[in-house]
Amino acid sequence: MALAAGAAVLTAPEVALAQGAKYKEAPALADQVKGGKLPPVEARLPEKPLVVPVAEKVGDYGGVWRRAFLGPADANNYVRVVYDALFRFSPDGAKIEPKIAESAEPSADYKTWTIKLRKGAKWSDGQPFTANDILFWYKDVLLNKELTPTLPGWIRNADGTPAKVEKVDDQTVRFTYAAPATLFLTAVANQDGADRTFAMFLPAHYLKKFHPAYADKAEIDKMAHAAGFKAWTELFANKNAPPENPERPTMAAWAPTSRASDPVFTLRRNPYYVGVDKDGNQLPYIDEVRFTYFADAQALNLQAIAGNFDMQERHVNMTNYPVLKEQEKSAKKYRVITWPTFGGADAVIAINQTYTADPVMGKVMANVDFRKALSLAINRDQIKESVFLGLGEPRQGVPAPWHPYYPGDEWAKKYTEFKRDEANKLLDGIGLDKKDANGIRLLPNGKPATIEISVVPAFGAWPDVALLVSKDWDAVGIKTIVQIRERALHFTMRDNNELMAEIWNEDTSAFPYTGNAKVDPRNTPILTMGPLWLRWYATGGKEGAEPPPAMKRIVEIVDKARTAPPDEQVKLSQELYRIWAENLFEIGTIGLTPMVQGVVVATNKFQNVPKTLGNDWPLRSPGNARTEQFYFAK
Amino acid sequence: MTRYILQRLALLPLLMVIYSFVIFAIIQAPPGDFLTAYVATLSSSGSSISAEQIAALRSQYGLDQPFIVQYFLWLKHLFHGDFGLSLEYQRPNAELIGEQLGLTIALALFSFVLTWVIAVPAGIYSATHPRSWADHALTVINYVGVATPNFMLALILMWVAFAYFDISVTGLYSPEYVDAPWSLAKFWDLLAHIWLPALVLGIAGTARLSRIMRANLLDELNKPYVVTARAKGMREWQLVLRYPVRLALNPLVSTIGWYLPLLFSGSLIVATVMNLPNIGPLLLRALVNQDMYLAGGILLIYSFLTIVGTLLSDVALALIDPRIRVEK
Repeated sequence: MALAAGAAVLTAPEVALAQGAKYKEAPALADQVKGGKLPPVEARLPEKPLVVPVAEKVGDYGGVWRRAFLGPADANNYVRVVYDALFRFSPDGAKIEPKIAESAEPSADYKTWTIKLRKGAKWSDGQPFTANDILFWYKDVLLNKELTPTLPGWIRNADGTPAKVEKVDDQTVRFTYAAPATLFLTAVANQDGADRTFAMFLPAHYLKKFHPAYADKAEIDKMAHAAGFKAWTELFANKNAPPENPERPTMAAWAPTSRASDPVFTLRRNPYYVGVDKDGNQLPYIDEVRFTYFADAQALNLQAIAGNFDMQERHVNMTNYPVLKEQEKSAKKYRVITWPTFGGADAVIAINQTYTADPVMGKVMANVDFRKALSLAINRDQIKESVFLGLGEPRQGVPAPWHPYYPGDEWAKKYTEFKRDEANKLLDGIGLDKKDANGIRLLPNGKPATIEISVVPAFGAWPDVALLVSKDWDAVGIKTIVQIRERALHFTMRDNNELMAEIWNEDTSAFPYTGNAKVDPRNTPILTMGPLWLRWYATGGKEGAEPPPAMKRIVEIVDKARTAPPDEQVKLSQELYRIWAENLFEIGTIGLTPMVQGVVVATNKFQNVPKTLGNDWPLRSPGNARTEQFYFAK
Repeated sequence: MTRYILQRLALLPLLMVIYSFVIFAIIQAPPGDFLTAYVATLSSSGSSISAEQIAALRSQYGLDQPFIVQYFLWLKHLFHGDFGLSLEYQRPNAELIGEQLGLTIALALFSFVLTWVIAVPAGIYSATHPRSWADHALTVINYVGVATPNFMLALILMWVAFAYFDISVTGLYSPEYVDAPWSLAKFWDLLAHIWLPALVLGIAGTARLSRIMRANLLDELNKPYVVTARAKGMREWQLVLRYPVRLALNPLVSTIGWYLPLLFSGSLIVATVMNLPNIGPLLLRALVNQDMYLAGGILLIYSFLTIVGTLLSDVALALIDPRIRVEK
């Protein structure tokens, strides 16, 4: 198996264009070409188009993909469907493949990367897509202090300076870093404008109208004011966001024709999309994607059960899985597919190891033997059966077995067996051997050992996990209170070091060095394992709490692995996850379930949906399923 | 009367300023701000955002400024008739509220009319035929109507419609009409969908109104003037409708003004459950996501309507009941 995620492996497309194939196009586009409104398909496609492998069959043109979303804050729903990036993750998440760009080539020392674009590629308005569109992003957006106050980590050298980006020719751009950038492609595969950021390639010809370096500042200010914005930067961000501005040209397979703030957010096929199938049919197959607005995820779920979406996985609640399966059998309108999470664990209990509100209990919580005892005290099979509907497996928050960073079965299963006696012994051993009349262990100061788990019902079933865990912990003499909190309150308390323990999921284990990995205590927002460690690192050791040696080693590994050659990176990562499991910085319960956007409902006619898929945010699933090759069977 | 109305109207601006402060304070009271909520939304759908990005957005939106500064900035803009920009939608709040206003009013009026058309005749029938089997039946229906939360009723109806008739009753249009321009066909489609939510919204009100109507009318029917009129040979239905019914309506009319704010806020949960495109879900989402200028704008409109509604009730009561006019 090829090296995954972290490493810099780029695979060539798995298929090639059939010999002598002629390009074909959707009937609607052919009509426009006849009417003289559109250039012929050969002129719209680049010289070397992207050849997209189909999951099952070469598809038919046409159809409207009915989907649902939860309004503008759910813009990532669109982001994930189109996955508009230069490079993208493969369906299994193990490789990175070219998409809008043609290729990427590292230098031997990984300090320089050369990206080649497709000659003749065009934006959805027919304008050429060239190196200038990347240089515009670099010079006028990334290096513009007003638009980008702080440089994102992936384009920053260790000393804080930006990496150098130069245009070699119209189709070639070179990136030069001070240190080896082995994770370059992993980062680039996510520079697609998600989360209100700027993608690394922007339609310069369109956006220059709103940038003071190219247009009259007074004129721009007037436009900003008219739209209700305070500054030109807000107008620029708004004009650049496809879900907020259908005028903005895009490179994606579908381009918006309405806004995410409208009742229906509609995307229509981009006649200039760079992809074809192996027979030369220009993609996408599907004409239109319609996101219908739902104010409430429950109403959305009811519609999903009724079979009113052609393909929907986002916001489908795993607790509805049995109902969906039943309908699948009785109504025969759709099929249900499950995509398990990409490693980690779907409910982990993070115990605050820098808790100061109760110093005595805080000291106990920082003791690794205490956490081992708590982990051994949990009956994970019960959680698996009753909360996760028998799906998934007990595990710690480490990568999945198919991932190169996987530390091995021994570590994935570390302290996951249900051993109440051993847990009791461990607790006795750390000085919690006295109990009160209710069987609750007493702290050195004579107070009962009490822990509170704060839960946000973000993925439905977590309160149930918390309740089962609390019973198990009560049974070994640790009084456990389950507190369900409103999410903003929970997040604020987490930042203020007020949480004792929380339930969340470990979903970043495949990507410990990019994005907001939870293993790195310097990231915010992190799990509540050590809010004061964050403070310690942020202030250079002046404030906060000094992390234990094991945690320091993890940080060391993260820094080292970022610039290590691929082989060494894999070794370092496995060490990292051995430390992670051994020290129980978070206590894993069940993982590899379809909890996070992994229950897929697809109508019978909706085809080419893969039966398995690497399902994670960095993979932009279902975007890595190559959505442009989804089709409706006639 | 005119003087009285003018006095009340003069107080309006002052009340609005006070309300604006209270509203802003309450919206700001929960911990965190729009970005905390935004980060929470992202994390609970499996994505994340970097700390640098949050800090940049926070200063861009002005959320790092002290409460009082934010409040006065908001107030300043309000004085210029500017409701500000929604943080979530990145569009002017006035535009967002305006878009939902038409349907919100249509739905509210529809359910209002439905309520009265059902409740008043039902109340009259019950009062004139007390303790008949029809009265008992209506009483039972009324009690159930009052006691069932309407969102519960909505859920039950939605499930029944789906499970037994295989139709979906969420939304106000069939899917093909949602973003279609207005046409006769779309209007018919709206009518075909609007009655169910209108009924769900109106059912508690209907039950309450018809109980009040029944009680009031029963009181009136035993009064001497009714006996006198009857003794003089007046026809029964004419007698009942012309005198006691008018009196029995008084308490109902005095609450008509409350309908103004209820028109907008009453449907919040039902509209969310049934996915109706009106102002209720907009407000709920704005509050949950701490999109404070949008929530503030909507709540200010509610406050305004409550004040005006109370005033209208008083005026309506004076018009319908000569006794109140004379006292003034």
